[in-house]
Amino acid sequence: MTELTQVGDISDSAGERAVARRTVYVYQAPVRIWHWVNALCMVTLFVTGYLIATPPDSVTGEAYNHFQMGYIRFVHFAAGQTMAAMFLLRIYWAFMGNAHASQIFYIPFWRLDFWKGVLHEIRWYAFLEKYPKQYIGHNPLAHTMMFGVFTLGTLFMIVTGFALYSEGAGRESWQYKMFGWVFSIFPNSQDVHTYHHLGMWVLVSFTILHIYAAVREDIMSRQSIISSMISGERQFRDEDA
Amino acid sequence: MSVAETFYEVIRRQGITRRSFTKFCSLTAASMGLGATGAAKVAQALETKPRVPVIWMHGLECTCCSESFIRSAHPLVKDVVLSMISLDYDDTIMAAAGFQADAILKETREKYKGQYILAVEGNPPLNEGGMFCIDGGRPFVEKLKEMAADASAIIAWGACASWGCVQAAKPNPTQATPIDKVITDKPIIKVPGCPPIAEVMTGVVTFITTFGRLPELDRQGRPQMFYSQRIHDKCYRRPHFDAGQFVEQWDDENARQGRCLYKMGCKGPTTYNACSTVRWNNGVSFPIQSGHGCIGCSEDGFWDKGPFYERLSNINQFGVEANADKVGMAAAATVGVAVAAHAAITAVSRVKVKHDGKAPPKA
Amino acid sequence: MTVQTPNGFNLDNSGKRIVVDPVTRIEGHMRVEVNVDSDNVIRNAVSTGTMWRGIEVILRGRDPRDAWAFTERICGVCTGTHALTSVRAVEDALKITIPENANSIRNIMQLTLQVHDHIVHFYHLHALDWVDVVSALSADPKATSALAQSISPWPLSSPGYFRDLQGRLKRFVDSGQLGPFKNGYWGSKAYRLPPEANLMAVAHYLEALDFQKEIVKIHTIFGGKNPHPNWLVGGVPCPINVDGIGGVGAINMERLNYVTEIIDRSIEFTDQVYLPDVAAIGSFYKDWLYGGGLSSKSVLAYGDVPENANDYSPRNLLLPQGAIIDGNLNEIHPVNLRDPNEIQEFVTHSWYKYPDETKGLHPWDGVTEPHYQLGPNTKGTRTNIESLDESGKYSWIKSPRWKGHAMEVGPLARWIVGYAQNKPEFKEPVDKLLKDLGLPVSALFSTLGRTAARALEGQWAAYKLRHFQNKLIANIKAGDSSTANVDKWDPKSWPSEVKGVGFTEAPRGALAHWIKIKDTKIENYQAVVPTTWNGSPRDPKGNIGAFEAALMNTPMADPNQPVEILRTLHSFDPCLACSTH
Ligand code: HEM
Ligand code: HEM
Ligand code: NFV
Ligand code: SF4
Ligand code: SF4
Ligand code: F3S
Ligand SMILES: [Mg+2]
Repeated sequence: MTELTQVGDISDSAGERAVARRTVYVYQAPVRIWHWVNALCMVTLFVTGYLIATPPDSVTGEAYNHFQMGYIRFVHFAAGQTMAAMFLLRIYWAFMGNAHASQIFYIPFWRLDFWKGVLHEIRWYAFLEKYPKQYIGHNPLAHTMMFGVFTLGTLFMIVTGFALYSEGAGRESWQYKMFGWVFSIFPNSQDVHTYHHLGMWVLVSFTILHIYAAVREDIMSRQSIISSMISGERQFRDEDA
Repeated sequence: MSVAETFYEVIRRQGITRRSFTKFCSLTAASMGLGATGAAKVAQALETKPRVPVIWMHGLECTCCSESFIRSAHPLVKDVVLSMISLDYDDTIMAAAGFQADAILKETREKYKGQYILAVEGNPPLNEGGMFCIDGGRPFVEKLKEMAADASAIIAWGACASWGCVQAAKPNPTQATPIDKVITDKPIIKVPGCPPIAEVMTGVVTFITTFGRLPELDRQGRPQMFYSQRIHDKCYRRPHFDAGQFVEQWDDENARQGRCLYKMGCKGPTTYNACSTVRWNNGVSFPIQSGHGCIGCSEDGFWDKGPFYERLSNINQFGVEANADKVGMAAAATVGVAVAAHAAITAVSRVKVKHDGKAPPKA
Repeated sequence: MTVQTPNGFNLDNSGKRIVVDPVTRIEGHMRVEVNVDSDNVIRNAVSTGTMWRGIEVILRGRDPRDAWAFTERICGVCTGTHALTSVRAVEDALKITIPENANSIRNIMQLTLQVHDHIVHFYHLHALDWVDVVSALSADPKATSALAQSISPWPLSSPGYFRDLQGRLKRFVDSGQLGPFKNGYWGSKAYRLPPEANLMAVAHYLEALDFQKEIVKIHTIFGGKNPHPNWLVGGVPCPINVDGIGGVGAINMERLNYVTEIIDRSIEFTDQVYLPDVAAIGSFYKDWLYGGGLSSKSVLAYGDVPENANDYSPRNLLLPQGAIIDGNLNEIHPVNLRDPNEIQEFVTHSWYKYPDETKGLHPWDGVTEPHYQLGPNTKGTRTNIESLDESGKYSWIKSPRWKGHAMEVGPLARWIVGYAQNKPEFKEPVDKLLKDLGLPVSALFSTLGRTAARALEGQWAAYKLRHFQNKLIANIKAGDSSTANVDKWDPKSWPSEVKGVGFTEAPRGALAHWIKIKDTKIENYQAVVPTTWNGSPRDPKGNIGAFEAALMNTPMADPNQPVEILRTLHSFDPCLACSTH
């Protein structure tokens, strides 16, 4: 453990000097911005996606005066395209950013200590470990979730989303040219709807778990979590005995 | 007269004038969306070609594709059969039976090797050695393969031949199989629908005889001229969909005003067919116009994408049947409950083990 | 060696065996084998349904409200009748009533099918058994015109019209590409029409082909398409809006006028073409009265076409209900589709398995489990059959029996029951036709009788179309626009276990579906179909079914040309997709 520095010029009213904790810059600004924009897009996609499949009660009067379903779908497509564009930028940043920036795009499959770490985290969540380990980036279990559920899940939603979009955009659209192959796997687009829809619930479940884990670990794992995604800095709270 | 008589000769000898022949050609071209230059091509083709032999075989099916075919209004089916093609074999309407019928198949294979069109309605079952569909004492699948071997092109009529249709719905007891799974070395044109629209059927046949080539097919093997757009994108109720005006219940005020059938389970948004454009029975109506949602009858496996009256398909996993929302909400709720429970246990154990701000002991 | 069947036929399979496979100009796949004696008279008949899809198995576990669409695909020829039967079965199980308009529209749909199916059957499936196309080439157009005008006011009957047509036919034949007429039995001694009658019939073959596509537009208007229009549990899917905003997209005045116009033309066609043709052709075959089979012994009708909504008792049904056994026309038995001892299906000679195959099962307890197995005396192999062994299992059709009797169903059965009940609607046209042809009532029990009954029924149905169209309009006029009852649309409102039965008179005869619903899903679904009755193989007691019975004792002009076999089988209008489903 590196030593803690007593910060001389900060003290409390009783005169006790504050402890300066080790702080690492983990999430660079692009990642943070991306994170919050993406989160916003996704929540929007959840709401509008659900409404696409289960529209609100009918509006009355002539069709000419309304565009309710149209707006819902428009917002969905706008959020979807934003999310997709941001995802591309995020991939770009995986190469350009720091080491943590690429973490969600791969799994160190062949590293034994990684899987040991996963096991440790599982035991920690199962209350079998007394103390959590500390990580600068995502802990191995979170890492696995991030890649396996979030990254692949989002990719799946983007691919199926654009395939669905191409149905309206037409056979000559770039969307069909790029994503039409989805219909070679699922010739009936009703299936694509079904899987796209199921994908939403996977991501909703991820989000619930994710927010819970963020709050919990913020409290339990003796390091900053939520604020890290705002400031970018991870602070380790332990003091040496 | 020889076999080489052309369509044009036939109709001229029937006393049809050059003028009405030209008119016929432009109507045919227009119905296929071919425009002005198309008419000239149609005319030229009809003037120079003998009638193409067509062998129409039936597997497991309900014969509604044949029934639909004979409803064709342009061209009239009598003109198709008398003047445009030579329908040499079709068990449903042919005069001959038994070995006299079988003899035609043999003769066609020899005399028109590589020149006849094989049109298949229905599909072969593969269970029980194929004996869920017996033809001449033998499995239909054998006869099908024999006739496919020497055909120039193959048309798969309807959902049966294209996708499997109702007999292939779960659990598909006969192992009914779409024809492209048993004939893998020939171009197959899928003309799906349960049944397909009459004028689409005659349109596809006359396209081939007229232009001497197969129509442009899409990714799923369907002629793109008729199957590249969804019912939903050409549906006249679409403004109500966009507006958010739906039939909420059968025969309600919304239904009487012709609003969108989405909430009644309409599968128009996922169905590729010409119904909302060409319509049925010479343009009289189509399912949605008559108040019922599209059930997706031209789509692969549409029988198992039901229930028909719900927007979301049931998925049958682990022996329970539910739609994506039910499955997803159950999953998300489980996660939510687990999280809450986990949080509770965490809180309790945190009260017991007070965070001491110390680093954990080194391993 | 001769065996007598309990239903009175002497079977002798010692003579030469003739196989016809495929039987053509029918729906679906069928095989028939007969033994002829030294005079070429049929002494044993074996009819086999050679296809099975398993719709009953596929329906298990599905939403009962979807069942109509699955069962409709049992057959595209009698399209809609299974769907109607299915929604009735579900409504019976769940005690759902339908609005009066829905009843009228459903009747119009069903009657449209009758008219359409009968016309297409007669001209395009059956006519070539009586009509020699090639002989039409030598007809005198003038004489043809005279013949046509003597039997009907139908306007398409000038000498020029027939001359043109003959010319077209000649050029077609001369082209050497005979298409569907290739290898027909032209010139056979079995054909008896003079060339002029043949030419007239060929003309009407083509006219009927043009006209049939018009009739079905009624289905298109109410059901959105044909074949396979749409239906709805609780009513019909098409709303009525004759005077309100958006009425243009519903059943409105324009749509109603469209239907009325088609009905008028259908009445005209059956009056002026169909019926006169059947009478004219019949007059040349008056002494060919073979093929009676079971019609003089045991016939069965469930009845159909309810005058008022929701009442399926015989007195409310325009088509008669009843069973006649042992040829006793004086006693008409009531039919109860719910009684476990009345209708039962056997599988002793069918390719299915029952726990105990000596017993029949009522359809509510019905079992459909395929079991392909050939009898020990089959010639050939399992997948290359030369001749079947009728002592073993030999058909994909089950054997339904009514109180143990093999029954004939169909237009003839219905008309015999109606006739025996002395209903003027049925009796008068029959008596008139018989009188015109100079034939006794017993002539009804024949191949020709079946064909004639179908024609009479086609005409009857056309007029009834007008009746229900008027009724529909009157009811709308009275202020009722309702077409669907949605009280029990939601499965949550259903009891956990119910069963029901729905029935119709399909074009080919009595049809019923039995359903058991458990926890909102189909638990068991059984259909017993007209061609299941008529085309059934033998039962454990040895009774032969209607097809086999009708073929018995018919002399063949030339055993290599099965015209007589086809003629009699076609008179039933076999539908094999229906029969096995
Ligand atoms: C987190 C990501 C996303 C979620 C949760 C989501 C959710 C949904 C849901 C629930 C539906 C209704 C499906 C159904 O018919 O049952 C839907 C439809 C759709 N989504 Fe997404 N979606 C996402 C991303 C995208 C993306 C990236 C696109 C691409 C532009 C997209 C385009 C579409 C389209 C075109 C439809 C069909 C709209 C219609 O049928 O009118 N989605 N989405
Ligand atoms: C739809 C909603 C959300 C999605 C899809 C999402 C997704 C993600 C992803 C993919 C990462 C990894 C970033 C990387 O390593 O590149 C991440 C990190 C993080 N997210 Fe979210 N997030 C969502 C909402 C939230 C919310 C509401 C919070 C706050 C309570 C939150 C807090 C965090 C934190 C604290 C991290 C950093 C975790 C760590 O340090 O290991 N997220 N999130
Ligand atoms: N048999 C039979 Fe059907 C009829 N009519 C139906 O129930 O033909 Ni396909
Ligand atoms: S595709 Fe549908 S309509 Fe055509 S034969 Fe098959 S079941 Fe019948
Ligand atoms: S009725 Fe069906 S096809 Fe038409 S707009 Fe509505 S959902 Fe689309
Ligand atoms: S159900 Fe079929 S007929 Fe057309 S509108 Fe839908 S594809
Ligand atoms: Mg059955």
